[in-house]
Amino acid sequence: MGSIRVENVVKRFGKVEALKGVRLQVQDQEFLVLLGPSGCGKTTLLRIVAGLETPTQGEVYIGERRVTHLPPRLRGIAMVFQNYAIFPHLTVYENVAFGLRMKRRPEAAIRQKVREVAALLRIEELLERYPAQLSGGQRQRVAVARALAVEPEVLLMDEPLSNLDALLRLEMRAELKRLLKETRTTTLYVTHDQVEAMSLADRIAVMRQGEIVQLGTPTEIYHHPADTFVGGFIGNPPMNFLPVVAEGGQVVLDGLRLPSPAERGPLLLGIRAEDLEVFPEPVEGGFAARVLVVEPLGPHLQLTLEREGTTFRALADPGFAAAPGATLYLRPKEGRVRFFHPETGKAL
Amino acid sequence: MRVWPWLLALAFTLWVLLPIYLIALSAFSPREAVYAWPKAFLPGSLSLETLRFFFGVEGVWRATATSLVVAGLTVAFSLLLGAPAGYALARFPFPGRDAFRVLLILTRAFPIVVLALPLAVLFLRVGLYDTPLGVALVHTALTLPFAVLVSASLFLSIPKELEEAAWTLGCTRTQAFVKVVLPLALPGLAATAIFAFITSWNEVFAASVLTLQNKTLTAYLLTLLDESPLPFKFAGGFFLVVPALVFLFLVRRYLFTLWGISHR
Ligand SMILES: Nc1ncnc2c1ncn2[C@@H]1O[C@H](COP(=O)(O)OP(=O)(O)OP(=O)(O)O)[C@@H](O)[C@H]1O
Ligand SMILES: [Mg+2]
Repeated sequence: MGSIRVENVVKRFGKVEALKGVRLQVQDQEFLVLLGPSGCGKTTLLRIVAGLETPTQGEVYIGERRVTHLPPRLRGIAMVFQNYAIFPHLTVYENVAFGLRMKRRPEAAIRQKVREVAALLRIEELLERYPAQLSGGQRQRVAVARALAVEPEVLLMDEPLSNLDALLRLEMRAELKRLLKETRTTTLYVTHDQVEAMSLADRIAVMRQGEIVQLGTPTEIYHHPADTFVGGFIGNPPMNFLPVVAEGGQVVLDGLRLPSPAERGPLLLGIRAEDLEVFPEPVEGGFAARVLVVEPLGPHLQLTLEREGTTFRALADPGFAAAPGATLYLRPKEGRVRFFHPETGKAL
Repeated sequence: MRVWPWLLALAFTLWVLLPIYLIALSAFSPREAVYAWPKAFLPGSLSLETLRFFFGVEGVWRATATSLVVAGLTVAFSLLLGAPAGYALARFPFPGRDAFRVLLILTRAFPIVVLALPLAVLFLRVGLYDTPLGVALVHTALTLPFAVLVSASLFLSIPKELEEAAWTLGCTRTQAFVKVVLPLALPGLAATAIFAFITSWNEVFAASVLTLQNKTLTAYLLTLLDESPLPFKFAGGFFLVVPALVFLFLVRRYLFTLWGISHR
């Protein structure tokens, strides 16, 4: 079936180590997103699974087959490229039919399959056109249609939405989600957009400098980041990190008392902006901070605050009265505080 | 205001076009008009008489056929050797790639005059002397550097992802090249072909030195030039110039991209 297994894959380009021993398993019919900042090796990993790049070390399996040294055409994959890579000299119809023709399907079967995926992607009217006559969004659909037409075991996508404008991206994101629920194709999807990842993924693999630092469902990764990098990378605004000191197994911040994972010593307290309740007066279990910036964002008011030299953010109701310079009181919601090691950044 | 650039351009244009015009005029004029002095600047009476005389001369048709064979072979060799080499330059990073590029251009630093005599000796020895194949090989040596460099920049302009997409859709490397790269490269390769054709068609020195009986048209005309009448020279000149003009007209777009100025 359409599972993917990547075992200890290392990839070096000369002196650059793009992947440092990656292990990853994508289940059959799963939608797994590779998420990470620019240059972390997402594309390299995807291309290794596609067979467009050979790993320096390690193995790749698709289904039960070891495909490490097979060329792309024998791997049962299809790929959607970031710039779509639609063949400019062929009509949309011929683009979508390309993979089927390579498989020497009978003409009638090809016609039927092209109509079917064209309907799925709503490009029936475009079939006779040439790519130069299409908009960005339409090209994107053609690229996806061409990939789905061959009924791949595994679908690989490299930032397929990054060349679309913001509005179209939202629309195509929802469309892709519907589509892949319908076709149930195992998908490995690369993006550096954390919102896209959260919205599409069954599971997210967060990458950093050639390594997978955390693998989990969007909720797990959002609420239980494995380290400060993941916490800071996922979510907008990023997770807040406040330096605190534990004593006698407790962390005390003004009125806030929390059991700490370490008996004593410095720690980082991680809390998301929306998990801080904001009060104008001192409250039981709250700590004080000074307001630096107030930004009305529509659904809520984003406050940038400062406490003992550390700035952090909190979200308040849009009607909340706050002015720069004022002192406010903040109380973390029950069970939302995380602790991290101050040097390694690892969750404790 | 900025009239000087225009004047300069006009001067250059006339410099190039005037002789061509005069040659064409003479080629299509009756004999008497060719000898007449002062020259009529506008065609008085057009006639095909001169051209008819030109093609009536013994050996002209045979030399034309030889020229066509040599040029055809040159085109075939240039494409069959040049396009793969250009593809390799465009797609595969290999040690010494840039040095190779420069070396290609440096091959043109050896004047054909220097090479022709040793080549004649060598060709006599291996039996290539006085054959169209021998001449075509030398002409290929002249055109190959350009064929390689032009096709390299051509293949560079075709995104690698298109090929990769073809691979993922079931193509071997060869199939992807034939189905995707070649159709996109075709106009440029055609330009390369025409360039090779014209170079071979116009080359006279190597063709003269390396042949005796089987002369190409240019080489043959050279041997006749001294003793032939003026109208014949004009007709021959015209016949040699026309292919070059047609070529330049067809490929001017690609030549501009070649020098780094994009067209459109
Ligand atoms: N062909 C190559 N030759 C040399 N280095 C390369 C090559 N391809 C990638 N790299 C390097 O490998 C690292 C990972 O690159 P990769 O393209 O996988 O990043 P990415 O996560 O896809 O980034 P982005 O989000 O910007 O696309 C980078 O440091 C990059 O410079
Ligand atoms: Mg990338």
